[in-house]
Amino acid sequence: MEGTRKQLINLLFQHRDRYVSGQELSEVLSISRSAVWKHMNELKKSGYEVEAVTNRGYRIINVPEALSEDAIRWGLETKWLGSTLHYHPTVTSTQNLAHEFARDGAEHGTVVIASEQTKGKGRMKRYWDSKANVGLWFSTVLRPHSLEPKNATQITLVAAVALANVMKEYGIPVSIKWPNDLFIGDKKMAGILTEMQAEQDQIDYIIIGIGLNVNHEEADFGSAVLEHATSLKVYTQDHYNLNTLFKSIAHEFEVQYERFIEHGFKPIKSDWEGYAYKMGEWLTVRAQGEWNAKLIGIHEDGALKVVDEKGQEHLLYSAEILWS
Amino acid sequence: MLKVQEIRELIKLVDESSISDFSYEANGTKVSMKKENGEVVQVAAPQVAPAVDTKPEPQVETKTAEPKQEAQPKEEPKEEAPASTVDFDHEIVSPMVGTFYESPSPEDDPYVQVGDNVDASTVVCIVEAMKLFNEIEAETKGEIVEILVDNGELVEYGQPLFRVKKK
Repeated sequence: MEGTRKQLINLLFQHRDRYVSGQELSEVLSISRSAVWKHMNELKKSGYEVEAVTNRGYRIINVPEALSEDAIRWGLETKWLGSTLHYHPTVTSTQNLAHEFARDGAEHGTVVIASEQTKGKGRMKRYWDSKANVGLWFSTVLRPHSLEPKNATQITLVAAVALANVMKEYGIPVSIKWPNDLFIGDKKMAGILTEMQAEQDQIDYIIIGIGLNVNHEEADFGSAVLEHATSLKVYTQDHYNLNTLFKSIAHEFEVQYERFIEHGFKPIKSDWEGYAYKMGEWLTVRAQGEWNAKLIGIHEDGALKVVDEKGQEHLLYSAEILWS
Repeated sequence: MLKVQEIRELIKLVDESSISDFSYEANGTKVSMKKENGEVVQVAAPQVAPAVDTKPEPQVETKTAEPKQEAQPKEEPKEEAPASTVDFDHEIVSPMVGTFYESPSPEDDPYVQVGDNVDASTVVCIVEAMKLFNEIEAETKGEIVEILVDNGELVEYGQPLFRVKKK
């Protein structure tokens, strides 16, 4: 989005309780009155309801429900996350597009978000169903220069904690299945895919992709998927504004990310363990054979900590886990 | 101390080999196996280390240590020798502990094969840990002359994955 529009939206948001005159807008933004008028018309086109009163000015009385760059901008309380924002109605995959932007030098915090993905990407290129307007599908470019590549894995857990915190605020009882899935009960409602470009000792960039099932009805899933997947709406019967939800997540992720960079993984670890799916329960691990293990927590580097039938502890970094 | 899985693995390897006697001892743990009529008949369970163990190191955090013993029964006099004769001047190493994947997904072809030419930004593999997928780039221009790990293998931090002859 061009800078002027961004400023205009911020200005209108800050003064959302009163009218802002065209004169004031044109002075602050250093554009002509007619340019202000043109911008206001653009906002109306993206679904904003603008009240214009002679001698008093403009006031936004309703922000569109549909995802758009303007609507996301409205009240986005982040410092850097989403400062550069690419919204597209339809993309093949926000993850792939974010990779392209990152390779071209996209700045830290750049977000790619879409209403619909035609080739939504889960891990190992598994298809992630991402229909139009029912969920949040977005990818964020991160450039954590102070972080060593071997610790980058923890960022997935940071994002999971941020997502879970927001869900808690919304009154949804979520748990996190190590390392990266959010569950309501035994059903998945969100997934996180983290990809990295790094050299031995330097991270070039990380792309963290989040897929969140929001306004799906049961019928949207199909019976086979419904056994394993759910959405906020299926769980609460409520409808959610995607713009608002995105802004809550972006803000919380920024807060948790900064806490992680500043204080390390320790505070995140205990929050994560508070959300852990199947904590204290027995599962099957597939790594050098198949064996039973009890989940007892995560290590200070984020690895899954389990204890086997002999009482011996193991740390798992990369293993297939059969959860049920 | 050896894990049950590791002992199982050992039994399997010894069973499949032509070895009839096998014993292994480390850190107070001893395992010996003897085959009669080509079958494993006796396994001495790991003896508990004497309580005088001076280092208070808890026996946790085994980090899915690969049983290095694997190399012993496998060692046959010939074969596997030419590894050192490959002419290379660069090794691509793993930046983290994780699982090595040769292709973007099981259905895809490997990123690179022996004989392929790469440049600095060619993606050669993925290393995954905790569901973070790290695309590893060649970081040099040259030809892949040797691939040192198998698809799906666990790799360590700094472990060489590929050998490259620079061009």
